[in-house]
This record gives sequence, C-alpha cells and structure tokens, in this order.
Amino acid sequence: MSLEPFNRLVKLAARAFYDDISTKGDNQPKTGRSDNRGIAVVVLDALTRRQWVREEDLAKDLKLHTKQLRRTIRFFEEEKLIAREHRRETAKGAKIFSAAVAATADGHHTKEGEEKVKLHTHSYCCLDYAQIYDVVRYRLHRMRKKLKDELENKNTVQEYICPNCSRRYTALDALRLISPDDEYFHCENCNGKLEAESDKIAAQEAGDGDDNARRRRREKLKSMLQKMEEQLKPLVDQLTRVKDLPVPEFGNLQAWEARAHAAGRGGLGDGSSNDPSKSSQGLGYGGTPMPFLGDTKVEVAFAGLDGKDDVKSETVSASLKVLPPWMIKQGMNLTKEQRGEVKEEVKMDGTSTSSTFSDDKKSSVETDDKKSIQDEYVKAYYAALLKKQQELEEAAKKQQELSSSNAANGDTGTSSTRQVGMKLKREDDEGDEDVEWEESNVAGNTNENYKVNDLNVQAEPSGEDEDEDDIDWEEG
Amino acid sequence: MFFHIILERNMQLHPRHFGRNLRDNLVAKLMKDVEGTCSGRHGFVVAITGIENIGKGLIRDGTGFVTFPVKYQCVVFRPFKGEILEAVVTMVNKMGFFAEAGPVQIFVSNHLIPDDMEFQSGDMPNYTTSDGSVKIQKDSEVRLKIIGTRVDATEIFCIGTIKDDFLGVINDPATA
Ligand SMILES: [Zn+2]
Repeated sequence: MSLEPFNRLVKLAARAFYDDISTKGDNQPKTGRSDNRGIAVVVLDALTRRQWVREEDLAKDLKLHTKQLRRTIRFFEEEKLIAREHRRETAKGAKIFSAAVAATADGHHTKEGEEKVKLHTHSYCCLDYAQIYDVVRYRLHRMRKKLKDELENKNTVQEYICPNCSRRYTALDALRLISPDDEYFHCENCNGKLEAESDKIAAQEAGDGDDNARRRRREKLKSMLQKMEEQLKPLVDQLTRVKDLPVPEFGNLQAWEARAHAAGRGGLGDGSSNDPSKSSQGLGYGGTPMPFLGDTKVEVAFAGLDGKDDVKSETVSASLKVLPPWMIKQGMNLTKEQRGEVKEEVKMDGTSTSSTFSDDKKSSVETDDKKSIQDEYVKAYYAALLKKQQELEEAAKKQQELSSSNAANGDTGTSSTRQVGMKLKREDDEGDEDVEWEESNVAGNTNENYKVNDLNVQAEPSGEDEDEDDIDWEEG
Repeated sequence: MFFHIILERNMQLHPRHFGRNLRDNLVAKLMKDVEGTCSGRHGFVVAITGIENIGKGLIRDGTGFVTFPVKYQCVVFRPFKGEILEAVVTMVNKMGFFAEAGPVQIFVSNHLIPDDMEFQSGDMPNYTTSDGSVKIQKDSEVRLKIIGTRVDATEIFCIGTIKDDFLGVINDPATA
C-alpha cells in the first residue's frame, strides 16, 4: 500500500481545516505566548511519518509537552482523524536495560531500585486513513451543502403574500389557505390568490431595501461558494486521486504489532520513520528494548554485574537463554570458529559464559533435554545467520553490523524465522516449556513484557523475531 | 418521534359509575377522553398503555361528581424539526402537496419538491418527473424531512421537504 497520496491528503486537510485550531485548556489565559495555533498541523504532519506511535515518544520528538500533545491528539480523535489505544503495561519491563534507562531518564519509568512490576497506562495513536478520507469528504460535502442550501433558500419556510392586501402567510398556514375550488392558496381576508414570495422577488428584480439585503446576501454566499471551490481545489483533487487506491490500514495496535513481527521488515529508513535517535529515545521509555541497538552487550554486562536483579528476573521468568551466535559474538568476542559451531556447542558456550545467572541449572537442564526438531530449525537458522554475519564482518560498526545482519536475515530467511516463531507459538499453547523464550512468555512478565517488546518492533519495524525473543528471555 | 411517558389527568366521574366497576369505568373514560388528542407540549396521544396510579377521589359540591387524579402511561407522537417521516399524500395542488404521517399533517411546498418534478393538473393532480418515472399523487407514500413545525395548544402542523438525498416517493400506488 502506498502511503504517499494519503499522507498528502492528510497534509492538505491539515492546512485547510486545522490551521488555526488552538487547543488550550479552558482555564489558560489567552495570551499571545500560549497561542499554539499551528501545532495541530505539525502533529498531523508528524503522524504522517509514523504508524502507531506512543504518545510520549511523539511528544519528545516534537519537543512538546505531553499534556499539550494529548490535547491536540484528543481533539483529532474527536475529529475522527486519529485512532488511539490505551493500555497498561510494565513501565520497566526489563532490568537488563536499566543502564540505558538511566541514561535517558525521564519521569515515567519506575526507579531503578524498584523491583515490582508496575503498570502504567500508555497511549498510542496513529492516523486512520480510511476514516480521514471519509471525514474530509463529508466535511466538504457539508460545507457545500450548507452554502447551497442557503443560496437556494432550501429548508426555509416558504412565505406567501397576497397581492391585493399585502397580507403575508407562511407555509405553516397552508392548511387554512387551501380552497376547494382551485389549486391555489387564497387570502383569508380578500380571497385573492396568494403568490409565493420568492417568485415575487424574481419578478421584480429591483426590489426595496429588504430585497437588496437579500440579494447582497446571495452574492456573498455565491462568492463564498466559489472561493471554497477555488481554495480547496488541491484537496478535492487529492481526494479524487486517492479515491481508487487501497487505503493504508494499520489495524489496531495489537494486530499491527503482530504484523510488524511477522513481516520482520528490515531497514531503518522505511515509512515508519525510525531513525536511531528516535529509537534510542524510545528505549528510554520504561526500558522497552529496541531489538538491535547493541542492547545485547548491555544484557551480558548486566547479568554479570547484578546479583539481586537476577533473583528478580528469576521470579519473573524462569530461565536463562542460550545465547545465539550473534549475541555471543558481540558480548564475548568469540572467535569465528566458535561462532561457526553447531547449535549444541553454542548452547554450551552460552550457558557457561553466563554462569552468573542463578537459574543457570534449570535452563541448562532444560536445554539439554530437548534435542528435537527445534534444533534442526535453529541449526539451519544459525548457520544461515552466521554466514550472513561473516559476510558482514567487514562492516564498520558493531551496531550497524548487527542491525544490517538482522535486516539481511529478514530478507533472506523470512521463512525460517517464521518457522521458529510458529514453533514457539505452538509450544506455548501446549504449555510445554521447552524453549527458554517461551518460558519468558509464560512466566512472570508475560504479556506485559511481551507487549513492550512488540511495541518496540512497531516503533522500529526493522526488528526481528529472533531478536525480540532473545531479548525477552534475557529480560526475564 | 414516539415517546412512552407518564401523564396525569383529573377525571370527573358521574356517580352512576360508582360501584364495583368504578376503576374500569374510570379507565375506559380516560381512554375515550385522551387517546387521539393532541397537546402542543407532548404531541399526539397515540395509546394508553397502563395506569400508574389513581388518587383519592374528591366529591364536588352540588353535583355529586367525583374528581380522580389519574396517572397513566401512554405512547405519544411528537414531530420534530429535522425528523424524517414517512407519510401518505392526501392532497396535491399547484402550491405543493399535503401528506399525513399518522395524526400529523405535513405540507410540502412546491419549492421543496425537486426541480425536475413538474405539476400536472387534471383529475388526479400530481408532480411528475420529465421522464414520467416518478410521480407524486394522492395516496403516494413519500419520505420527507420536517423543516418546520407549528405547535398550538391542541394542534401540530408541519412543513416538510423532499428536496434532499433519499427523500421522495417510496411507494407509488399506481405501480403497487
Ligand atoms: Zn388579501
């Protein structure tokens, strides 16, 4: 689906109708300083560059106060331009990211020491293109209709006048005026034939002062109508252009997340406008990790350093995850040979390196238990991944490398990622805690955590399933 | 628009109705008195659906009549400006046409009939489109929008339009 024509539509509509919208609290004085007209346009424009976005993040990006943005967003919600969703989620899903969180501290997440899973309500919004199309068309229709109705004296009560005695009647008197003899209304006074008033005006063009006023009014209405057609022409043109195009549909927040997951779209620069700075800001929010910001490094360091957090993470999710090859490479600087090894060995590496985790035993037992088809998947997947990574070895920066490898994976191995994902799901249903990733889902943080991750993927659609999952278990 | 409301009325009952059937007589008289009437405030009383409460009777000096305050539930019909109604055409003339929606009478002036409909006089005066496909005459059913009401104490009269989207003839007696 192509967003561009619809975004243009939104921008035109914003400038046409929401240019001078000022969203003030009622109690605020209307001083020049608090005049925030134009914000509405800025917000809409910003939304054309995003899909679902958390409102706090948007406020940060726009350097607006959250409250102010909220007011604008609420206004547009009422205008039916924006879809919103609110949900409660853990403010700080993962302790693993406490460092990053601390770096970009803001008032919204829980304190570092606070280990409880705290729920905060977050609001998300995105443009509702299908509805915008309808809303704009309806608005134009109403404008035109109102002017035309007034111009044609539609919906006005017809007046009648007696040519003999000049007595006036309205259509509401009709019942008294009908005569059994002919098809006209008759004056109650003199029984003269009544004339409809507009006919009279048409008959005598140069009327008295009253008629002049009426004519001026008509002129004004006419010129307004004409001006409207002129000035809104670009908008109307854009509407016709968009008419037969498929409307971009993001679905609700959850569906969108799911799709973003499944698609595993690569590339930082796609329509959802996730530039690194933005994502890092997002990361600051309640520790929702972006899949490939080098967070893996942080995770490993954290695991080594922080004992008490381990305890907590245990409660939340049972086990330690075997580190996938790319992660190992980043965190541990393993050699290529090691990375080239097959899955079991990788697993060993993973468990041994991160032996600081107290739940190590559990996880290792579990991991040893299953030599199932999964291994096959994973092996194949890792093999492909390693190959890719080696190719990318020469790339300059680790971050870049990581992200690009993910992206590349998304391109080459979509099917394999899907399979893994499916597998996970199935097992989840069975309640069989075979794989660590699932455990993280099943236990403790569960949904909230999961959602948070999902979110990230939305915000940063280039994220990959595997990454997500890894982060998930590490997070515990 | 229809409403189900509770109204109150003081009923005077002749002494001959006193006895076992007093209540029944009272209700019967209430129905006879009230159903089909119109008040400007509440609209047309379509039907009494129940008796809420009958108060203590008060004997009038001299006559022996007894006054009972009666609270009753009833369905009323009150037309509003902007409301869409379906109505049956009762009369067509050069000035427009009259129609009835239940108890309410509506006049649609010829200015509020679509421009492409012309008045045809004759035995059966009517408004017809140039191609003859749509015809409004007596007994046609039309959907119209009320654009004005005149509410008197005992009468409600409306004027309407069929010059808008989805308004006009909905059932032609000639083709039905
Ligand atoms: Zn007269």
